[in-house]
Amino acid sequence: MLLLKSIVLQWLYVGLMAPFLCGVIIKTKALVVGRVGPPLFQPFYDLLKLTRKQNVYSQTTTFIFRCAPVVVLSSLLILSLFIPLISQPAPIRFAGDILMFVYLLGIGRFFLIASSFDTGFSFAGMGASREAFFSCFTEVAFFMNLIILALLAQSISLSQMIGASTPLSWPLFGPALILVVSSLFLILLAENGRIPVDDPATHLELTMIHEVMILDYSGRDLAAMLYGAMLKFLIFAGILVPLLVPVRLGQAFPDLLVFTAGLIAIAVLVGIIESIMARLRLNRVRHLLLAAFALAFFGFIVTLWSRL
Amino acid sequence: MLFAIVAVPFFSGMLMFLPFSKPVRLWFVLGAAFAHLVFCGCFWRSMPCSEFNEFLTLDPLGLIVLSIISGVFCLIAVYAIGYYVHEQRSNRTFCACLLFLLASMTLVTLCNHLGLLWVALASTTLFAAPLISFHRCPESLEATWKYLLVCSVGVALALMGTFFLAFAGHEVQTLFLSDIINGKILLSGRWLKLAVIFMSVGYGCKMGLAPMHSWKPAAYGQATGMVAALMSSVVTLCSFLAFCRIGQICAKSGLSDFYSSLLFIMGGLSLVIAPVLILGEGGLKRVLAYSSVENMGILVLGLGFGGLGVFAALFHMVNNALSKAVMFLTAGSIAQKYGSTRVSHVRGVVHAYPVTGVFLLIGLFAGTGMFPFATFHSELMVINAAIISRHYGLAALFVASLSLMFIGMTRIIFEMSQGPATAPVLAKQENFWMNVAIALPVLALVILGLWMPAPLEIMLRKAAGLLTPGVV
Amino acid sequence: MMTTWINASCILVVFLALSILASYRMAGMIHLFAAQSLVVGLVPLFLRQFSLSQNDLMIVAITIVSKSFITPNILFWAIRHVPTRAEVKPLIGIGASLLVSALLIAVAFWVAASLQLPGLSKSNLVLPCSLAAVLLGFMLLVTRTRAISQVVGYLVMENGIFLFALSLFDAMPILIEMGILLDVFVAVFIMAIVVNHINEEFSRQPMTLVRSKMGENT
Repeated sequence: MLLLKSIVLQWLYVGLMAPFLCGVIIKTKALVVGRVGPPLFQPFYDLLKLTRKQNVYSQTTTFIFRCAPVVVLSSLLILSLFIPLISQPAPIRFAGDILMFVYLLGIGRFFLIASSFDTGFSFAGMGASREAFFSCFTEVAFFMNLIILALLAQSISLSQMIGASTPLSWPLFGPALILVVSSLFLILLAENGRIPVDDPATHLELTMIHEVMILDYSGRDLAAMLYGAMLKFLIFAGILVPLLVPVRLGQAFPDLLVFTAGLIAIAVLVGIIESIMARLRLNRVRHLLLAAFALAFFGFIVTLWSRL
Repeated sequence: MLFAIVAVPFFSGMLMFLPFSKPVRLWFVLGAAFAHLVFCGCFWRSMPCSEFNEFLTLDPLGLIVLSIISGVFCLIAVYAIGYYVHEQRSNRTFCACLLFLLASMTLVTLCNHLGLLWVALASTTLFAAPLISFHRCPESLEATWKYLLVCSVGVALALMGTFFLAFAGHEVQTLFLSDIINGKILLSGRWLKLAVIFMSVGYGCKMGLAPMHSWKPAAYGQATGMVAALMSSVVTLCSFLAFCRIGQICAKSGLSDFYSSLLFIMGGLSLVIAPVLILGEGGLKRVLAYSSVENMGILVLGLGFGGLGVFAALFHMVNNALSKAVMFLTAGSIAQKYGSTRVSHVRGVVHAYPVTGVFLLIGLFAGTGMFPFATFHSELMVINAAIISRHYGLAALFVASLSLMFIGMTRIIFEMSQGPATAPVLAKQENFWMNVAIALPVLALVILGLWMPAPLEIMLRKAAGLLTPGVV
Repeated sequence: MMTTWINASCILVVFLALSILASYRMAGMIHLFAAQSLVVGLVPLFLRQFSLSQNDLMIVAITIVSKSFITPNILFWAIRHVPTRAEVKPLIGIGASLLVSALLIAVAFWVAASLQLPGLSKSNLVLPCSLAAVLLGFMLLVTRTRAISQVVGYLVMENGIFLFALSLFDAMPILIEMGILLDVFVAVFIMAIVVNHINEEFSRQPMTLVRSKMGENT
């Protein structure tokens, strides 16, 4: 009963925050360049509009194309249950849940790539190959970061690593945490297709990665895919916030407020970065991701050194 | 007094930036060199006491190196007067850098503090670099850049070694050489070993020992004769002085065997690599550069053998400086006359310029260690030391290396001096000043080969006594 | 508490060295080096726990001014006429450089751990990080073909050595530290002048040092 209640509450929170964060990013980008921009809740309206529209399926697609939105959305919804809301442990937690985390992400990614090949559309294939390539690097870097956090927190459950009641203290672990946080931030930008890795606003064939894979979707399927992308952003930001904010007030509601504030801060930061930088050439994206890996590796060595 | 001998060249160097005419600057340089020589002579008569809170002192080893620097510098100054008769380029930077280089080399010999030693050695690198790119053509700029980078990196490694050395002290951390030698400070194992390795590799880069020798052929090949003579005779000597100081510290701390094996590795590699690489060369100055690498290997090996070997190494220091001066200055004369020192361009020097040609042949014999030149005795002493200390393998390597070196140098020098004469480019006549500058060290080498003056022998023994207990 | 600040500065120094290795624009490299020198210059403040003698204050001020402000300006002066401000053809690509530098950092930490040198507190990251910075600077120097990149590599090495010196002991007389700083400064000055000459000589060619057969000259 308690589990059901926590799942429902978590889904309620996550479900409403995800499009809100997307709206924050768009609003920040508009404000930085001096425009007023769309209202903060615009993504909600867009999703609602899409659910009322009809699905159109191309004749070259098979059942994979119809499955993919379901798989992607469901995997991400389950993933959102793994994230602890600061001191509140996650609804799903067990030793080794970080591995499940990475593999759930992987399954969603696999179906996304498979569906874009399924359309027989060459640009979708191009985007899929880029996504597969970059995910090689991001997964390695992400694993490295998880190993560091596991070593620091002496546990392999995500809730205990970042959701513990005593946070990983910066005075003790400062150096390694700087590196983990910078590496995770780069991974966040890469996995969610933000500038400098991908431009979420462009629909030019040569420059899309995530956008091109969902180009053929319409109606409710498109709403599912877009919502999945928003959930993914919240998940990654949700891993970053407890590390950045070592505050544990002990009670549910104030901690939730702190978490929300942290998420909004990260969304604003991403918005600012998107406004001041241009997208990197695809060659250089590889360097960026290798840099994320190198930072994580360095953090790993520092962690090993301090445990000598 | 000690401050004066450093200050005079330094301030003369500053004066070079005033608008004098070319000949005036050269006579000024000669004057500063002569003043330096006079100071040196005073020090031979009575050793000065330490100044500046023990930062500067003069011991017998430093005095020998100082005299070599002084002597060779005077020769260069005399040679420059003759060289500039046919040279159009302004000599403002040249003279200034020469004098600053003299000042920093003098400072190296006077240092009692290892940090100050580092500062002085780094300065010698910096002031020698503009001298190499004298002619500003692309190849010489590339050679300068290679020299600057390799030596700066080496010197940076040596700096790290110096810091490790300071950290090696037990209770007190100090870098004063006299404190370490007199046993006031004890140095402990691991930090000291690390320091010795870093400092040897670093200063070895600067000296041109293999495997850090790659800048030598480029730099000496591109530099003019005077600059190459200065660098190969005395600038490398300054880094050898640093090696000797490390040797003193090791002897005091009981790491002599460790240091000797390090020196054997570096010296042995130089003796192996230099003859192998010399056999394909076609330019005189590059051949002389490899000869310089080999001689540095000989010096370092002698230092490693201990006992007689140290005496031999110090004597070889003197002889090498003089013989390299002869060879490089002759190469400079040839370069000025023919526009190049490659075998393809220069033939029959003996027929066109008899004096220079004879000097070329004398330089060959002096450099490769033939009787009656002093290099014969010093190299024989090193072999003797190798056999006494039972390093038969190294002795055999030494002899083989010398023979191969002889073959390599003879091939190119005989080709250049004999044969039908090719037409010279400039300078139809021999120059008096340049010939005097070459004749003096030849004379010195012959005299030293036949008779060792007593003051020199006493000073050499005292210096060797500083480095090793059992001097023959 | 202070140990954390010192450790954080050491990490930042290596982090910045890694960023320099990952960049291919000369201007970016020089700015990152200026930031790194600033961090190295601030280390004495953390060491002495903010109670500084006049000597220390002077060292901090001179280090920061000469390395963070004057040296980058000299380097920018040396490349003022160069049209292409990017690395033309490094010996190994940036991706490979990043992987090799991660390996070098591991090597530096391994060396520092296996040496077990007495006198260093175990939680101190200074020795491995300064060794790592030296190795990374050396790698930058060896794998880049443009002269200014090589100068920046040398300067990163010097930063690493200086980090070690500043952190580990206070036996160095002020005069010698000034002498070392002056030497590095003069080194940069002379290197910049030589680079300037190189630029003038090679003004019509792309800015790599030509690996020509070594000629000879008088």
